Amino acid sequence: MIAVIRSEWLKLRTTAVPWVLASIALIINGLLILVIFLRHDPATGGDTVPHTTQQLKNLVGSGFQGYLFALLLGVLCITTEFRHKTATTAFLVTPVRPVFVGGKMILAAIAGAGLAVIMLIATLIGGGLTLVARGGSFSAMLHQLPAVAPGMILVFALFAILGVGVGSVLTNQVAAIIVVLGWFIILEGILVSLVNSAEKWVPTGAALAASNLTRGMGQGGQTYGLFNQWQGTLLMLGYGLLFAAIGSFILTRRDIT
Amino acid sequence: MPSAIEVQHLTKHFREVLAVNDLSFEVETGRVTGFLGPNGSGKTTTLRMLLGLVHITAGVATFGGRRYVEIEHPIRHVGAVLEATSFHPSRRAEDHLKMVAIGAGIPLSRVGETLELVGLSDVGRRRVGKFSLGMRQRLQLATALLGDPEILILDEPANGLDPQGIQWLRTFIRHQAAIGRSVLVSSHLLSEMEETVDDVVIVSQGQLVLQTTLADLSTRAGTSTGMRVRSPEIGRLTGVLATSNVAFRPIAPDTIAIDGASPEWLGPLLAQHQIVVYELVHEKGSLEDVFLTLTKGFDAAIPGAPSLGAPPGGSQAPPPGGTPPTPGPMPGGQS
Repeated sequence: MIAVIRSEWLKLRTTAVPWVLASIALIINGLLILVIFLRHDPATGGDTVPHTTQQLKNLVGSGFQGYLFALLLGVLCITTEFRHKTATTAFLVTPVRPVFVGGKMILAAIAGAGLAVIMLIATLIGGGLTLVARGGSFSAMLHQLPAVAPGMILVFALFAILGVGVGSVLTNQVAAIIVVLGWFIILEGILVSLVNSAEKWVPTGAALAASNLTRGMGQGGQTYGLFNQWQGTLLMLGYGLLFAAIGSFILTRRDIT
Repeated sequence: MPSAIEVQHLTKHFREVLAVNDLSFEVETGRVTGFLGPNGSGKTTTLRMLLGLVHITAGVATFGGRRYVEIEHPIRHVGAVLEATSFHPSRRAEDHLKMVAIGAGIPLSRVGETLELVGLSDVGRRRVGKFSLGMRQRLQLATALLGDPEILILDEPANGLDPQGIQWLRTFIRHQAAIGRSVLVSSHLLSEMEETVDDVVIVSQGQLVLQTTLADLSTRAGTSTGMRVRSPEIGRLTGVLATSNVAFRPIAPDTIAIDGASPEWLGPLLAQHQIVVYELVHEKGSLEDVFLTLTKGFDAAIPGAPSLGAPPGGSQAPPPGGTPPTPGPMPGGQS
């Protein structure tokens, strides 16, 4: 299994996919940091310099939405094998298909966590410099890191696992991307706004619970009642493994022609 | 010596289509076995079933008694070059091989060695997207050789290679057998393989037509079909034949063919009547003819079976001895 994961890491880093995804995620993160600093404070009428605990947490976790890129990373790292027909070689090397899917999942989890770390470091540098330049306190920001980082890293890893799971079922790359983005950007929000109690059960709700950050999917980030961190983590992991199990089952019976 | 590959009653249904039907054959250790059949006869499907890529409907295929999926790090024992295998276009050739080597626990020193073996050392750092078809084929071969396997499975490996490449491939395959490896190589052209293989497995319509040695197939091919004579005195010869009640076929104004005749019979006859001869040919079938007859006859034996591709009639090389190609079945004329 170690060999499979090391091979997968070489596979991943020798394509443009992770670097392009990480770059886009970082650019969006930078824009979000700008938004935080440019937002006008309704009380004073001037620009906001984050200083409360929640504001500083929001600044440190400004890259949180980047979990969508961890998700895409997971989807792409498995569907690219079918798109470029490299699956033939992959299955010759690793003929037991659940091992192939499992290796991808572990690698994706590590890469997803890595993406979270990169985004946190970038935020600390970019957001920290801006904060200091605007007269804020960097040490106060750094103080919020332990509250934000573990949850964010965990959530990125969980989304990457889910991505591999979905990709193992929907091996058509375009279809898989449309389905995951359609679900996470549009359908899930509609579902939760119609049936508020569904929030804790949908993947994003489970991931938010796992992150242990008080954010929700409702208006203004309010929550309709989430699971606790452990429940959320297990539920999210469960979704990933469920898809992977279905995907492995299908792949084992699938003809690679 | 045990068989390197054993295929027993292998069957594959693609939904309604029976692609491979109760196919059994063996590949002997240390020999090159040609896996021959027309396009669409189930060769690729069979090879992919051997390698665990295509799900087997019924039957079993084993390497030294073990199925491919049961072998730990299978590419160290069985190397495969398959059609329609692709590479990630933005990955460097070297990285492709490294990725496979790491996955199978093969030392990375093999990467450079195999690149050199297939003549790709200079382009190892280049992205595969820029490779020609022939270079990709060589890279596939390098991938297959990475684990130093004792068995090689090659599916139409000559595709995309230039004449020098094909010559190189033949030498390469013979060398593999010489150092004790077993090779199963598929082709739709027997002529492409007749200098390379020891044994042949001929399939058609997903069924075994014949498994034998190349020597045996040559014996069948060597059977005399008759004599052909070109003479300025062809009228005198036909007169002699007519009085002896021997049948003949006119080929050209000055040429006739006498089916079933032997040189030992015709030579003295010509001498006896002092007939001037410009050309005297003992006609024998070529290997390709035997191959075509075998696979074609097999098609016809299945009532209602659709014709699968045109026989490669246009590609027959004249066999040694100067006989022009016998007018085989016309391409596409087999329906």
